[in-house]
Amino acid sequence: MEVVSPRTLEEALRLRAAEPGLMPIEGGTDVMVDLNFDRRRPVGLLNLNEVPELRGWSRDDGLLRIGASLTYAQVRQRPLADTLPALAEAARTVGSPQIQNRGTLGGNLGTASPAGDSLPPLLIERADVELASVRGVRTLALERFLLGPKRNALAADELIAGIRVRPSGARQTFMKVGPRNAMVIAVVSLALAVDREREELRAAYGSAGPVPGLVTASTGERETFPELVAAAAEPIDDLRGTAAYRRHALRVLVGRALERCWA
Amino acid sequence: MARLIRTEKEVEGHYTEQWIVVDEDALDQWPAGPLQTVGKPAPRVDGRERARGEATYTADIQLPGMLHAAVLRSPHARARVRSLSLSSVLAAPGVRAVLEPGDSHVLTDEPGYHGAAVAAVAADTFAQARAALAQAAVEWEVLEPLLDPDQAVEKGSLVSEPNVSERGATERGVSEAEAVVEAEYRTQTVLHNSLETHQAVCVWESGRLDVYISTQFLWGVRATVAEQLELPPDKVRVVCNFMGGGFGSKNGPGEYTFIAAELARRTGRPVRCALTRREENLATGNRNSTIQRLTAGARSDGTLTVLKGDYVNSVGFEGWSPSTGGPMELLYACENVRVAEHGAKLNTPPNAAFRAPGFVEGTFGLECLMDELAARLDLDPLELRMRNYADSDLVDGRPFSSKNLLECYRRAQPHWARREEVRARSQGPWKHGMGLASQVWYGGGGPPSYAWVRVGSDGRVQVVTAMQDIGTGSRTAMAQIAAEELGLSLDRIEVSLGDTSRGPFASISAGSSTIPSMGPAVRSAAADAARQIVEIAAQRYHLEERVLSLRNGHIVSADGGSWPIEEITELLGEGQILGKGARGPNPTGMRTLTFGVQLAEVAVDIETGEVLVDRIVAIHDVGRVINPLGASSQVEGGIIQGIGHTLSEDRLLDPGTGTVLTQTLDAYKLPTIADVPEIVAEFVDRPDEHLTNLGSKGLGEPPIIPTSAAIANAIRDATGANVRSLPITREEMLRALRAAREREGLERTAETVGEVRSA
Ligand SMILES: Cc1cc2nc3c(=O)[nH]c(=O)nc-3n(C[C@H](O)[C@H](O)[C@H](O)COP(=O)(O)OP(=O)(O)OC[C@H]3O[C@@H](n4cnc5c(N)ncnc54)[C@H](O)[C@@H]3O)c2cc1C
Repeated sequence: MEVVSPRTLEEALRLRAAEPGLMPIEGGTDVMVDLNFDRRRPVGLLNLNEVPELRGWSRDDGLLRIGASLTYAQVRQRPLADTLPALAEAARTVGSPQIQNRGTLGGNLGTASPAGDSLPPLLIERADVELASVRGVRTLALERFLLGPKRNALAADELIAGIRVRPSGARQTFMKVGPRNAMVIAVVSLALAVDREREELRAAYGSAGPVPGLVTASTGERETFPELVAAAAEPIDDLRGTAAYRRHALRVLVGRALERCWA
Repeated sequence: MARLIRTEKEVEGHYTEQWIVVDEDALDQWPAGPLQTVGKPAPRVDGRERARGEATYTADIQLPGMLHAAVLRSPHARARVRSLSLSSVLAAPGVRAVLEPGDSHVLTDEPGYHGAAVAAVAADTFAQARAALAQAAVEWEVLEPLLDPDQAVEKGSLVSEPNVSERGATERGVSEAEAVVEAEYRTQTVLHNSLETHQAVCVWESGRLDVYISTQFLWGVRATVAEQLELPPDKVRVVCNFMGGGFGSKNGPGEYTFIAAELARRTGRPVRCALTRREENLATGNRNSTIQRLTAGARSDGTLTVLKGDYVNSVGFEGWSPSTGGPMELLYACENVRVAEHGAKLNTPPNAAFRAPGFVEGTFGLECLMDELAARLDLDPLELRMRNYADSDLVDGRPFSSKNLLECYRRAQPHWARREEVRARSQGPWKHGMGLASQVWYGGGGPPSYAWVRVGSDGRVQVVTAMQDIGTGSRTAMAQIAAEELGLSLDRIEVSLGDTSRGPFASISAGSSTIPSMGPAVRSAAADAARQIVEIAAQRYHLEERVLSLRNGHIVSADGGSWPIEEITELLGEGQILGKGARGPNPTGMRTLTFGVQLAEVAVDIETGEVLVDRIVAIHDVGRVINPLGASSQVEGGIIQGIGHTLSEDRLLDPGTGTVLTQTLDAYKLPTIADVPEIVAEFVDRPDEHLTNLGSKGLGEPPIIPTSAAIANAIRDATGANVRSLPITREEMLRALRAAREREGLERTAETVGEVRSA
């Protein structure tokens, strides 16, 4: 199989436009599984690991720009971890140390799984996705980027360049329920923020609907919020758990997260 | 001297009476307790080699010109092949040969389970073999599968006659009881998932077949392959130097060996048939699921008056019905016991022996039932068990060759005393509790088994026997035994094993039998060599043999003389001292069993249903412990595997079609290191004075037996909920909690009604 390794974003975008059959690859922790299981047979791979513009993160006047290549291991590190604490917590629960060293935020967005662990923490921070192509750059609210189970709004000639987010500074947390303590895809997950400044409660669930979903309410609605979130979710029965359990667990997690972030 | 005797042979709980020729076991046992090498912790002699990737497993065997096989398996639980065309398979790149039903007895055109082997191909690479198989044109007639075990029993679809045994009179036992508990327990299907998948490499050379295979029984593979292929056994050589796990699923050659052998015969090339992880999860056996309908009755002081068990084993399309009722028959001094076991034949993948088959499942039911009884009688669970202690085997009235379960219970006391402290840790939704469960199992091994010992002029020793080390540390234990007998340090002993052409017959490594079967043979071979060294030394130093012995690398005399052993071995030049030894008979008229108890500390989140195991203490009685380090490894491994069985592992079938849904390690949840609690292993370490020259029993299986019941009992202690179904997923935990609340509600209403009435 052909592997093409562009050295600049511009070159990457040109290749993307010219050869839409090439599959972008960052850490490969989703791509390689798909190839091994013969779920996908791309003509070749577009290796983004050599593109410097996709690496690292920067802050400009309160606006964070996170490159698509940022790994979970990097997300866990300060000072970024202090700025986006729920995302850092989520990163700590991803797979195993090996997966955290390879797996990236860009890849998690690319896969757009209902169970993608970075997605709920980014949703409660109202993050935007930066999409680039030879035509230019556009940003899209994460909520609008996620279209369905493993479906996103990426156009055939676009690459995910990064994430833009203005950290709210709100107290926040991430919780994940799985059948064992490591290497699990969430049965259900939750990110929650208590935003005093905006008098807003924001919760986002994972693995409890076709896409991770954001639910908001005013801080005055604390009592009914667990129920509100549980009712908003659209879980299904699958190998990992039943819809009824997912809804129940979500209700419990929201209650606990509120308790943790209220003070 | 060889002797002809009639003796019992036991593997995995099956006893058979047979004539055998055995050698006398004339050696006295060593004194109890740690010796020079035996009884002291020894790191694995092959640890470095294995950690560095230098050890050659079957998966590492590469032979010149070797081809790779892939197997076409039934995608249906029950089907008939209407037509099969392999012509495009044969034409695919790299393909050298194909096999279809009729070409080998292991291929079928009427598969009875998802994953049954139908056809096979050999190609230059494994990728080519797999790609070629995708070209197979098969037309299936899909048939209705039988999946419900109760329905199978009703219809008489059984793998064997029901096994019913009764002692005493259970009717009377029930009427004498002052408290009776009845409950239905269920255990799920779990998979061995050995790290090294099932595989063999076969190569024919001038009418001789070499089989490199990941196996637990070299000689069993040799015998089965020779018989099936109508070869004299000596024309089959079986090799397994290092082995990546079997847990009972690698006791025989499996279909892959016959596929590789036939493809190798047809192509004249070596052929590897190695299963993929998916195939490993489909078609290499499993611990079958069970339904257990149990009754226990006791007097108010806790004396058992009756135990009854009706068991349904979901054996699968083939296989055997394990002794799920065994623990009920063996563990307690109950006079009235009735056990009925049914092996349901279903259109599901066949079971295979899995680390104490039957007893793991049966102990979950029995030991949970005992705790439910203790709760009913308001008795301490440990007290209840001690009150019903069995001093002899009530199945056939034989004495135990040794039993130190009471000592295990005694050592459990200080841990058990922490119960209040553990419960007091409960906070908010997290409830803490402690539970225990007992263990009984076989593990005495038996003859025949042989070993040779070779001493060279450099005073180094090679133990030669065609046994296998399946990853349990047998090499190390055998080296320790030889070192002890010869008074040498461990680093002077080499163990050569793993090849039927390079040593005498050796026992299967299953049924916890390696140490108790092989250990005594190695010791007797070492003693034979030691005797010869002493004979030579006596002549060299003009002393009597009886005043000489071997210690610390020296020949020492009773009057204080001491000579390095090399002074004698040097005299050999190119010559060698050859010792030979054999496993002697088992004690007649006695029952040899292993025992133990485990205590679990758990925390349960009663809102989400999450169960965390904090700590497990395991106290086992397996006679003399050869290597305490190896022994605690076995305990840790067994408990971790037991935790998987208890909390997360579940082989799931599509209820409509009977196809296996969990074929990868992503879907099938083995415990990870993050799920492993603190594990404390203790051993009674008293030699069984009736059993062989070692007094050692096996430990491969005992540690997994009581784990699930200990955890379930701890959960009851923490929450009051009876978990009766494995695995205890969060949903199952919440269900049990709901049932407990409803029961409590009912009892409370009943009480109020009672109060109103009596008022
Ligand atoms: C053992 C294991 C455990 C795991 N555990 C978890 C877990 O706990 N939680 C979790 O959320 N996930 C988990 N995953 C999934 C995976 O690790 C994550 O989704 C990870 O974020 C993917 O990142 P990656 O860089 O490896 O993506 P890749 O595999 O390289 O790519 C993933 C997808 O995104 C596309 N893509 C990548 N980069 C771009 C880009 N810049 N522009 C456009 N498209 C792009 C690719 O084409 C592909 O479709 C696990 C995976 C494994 C193998």
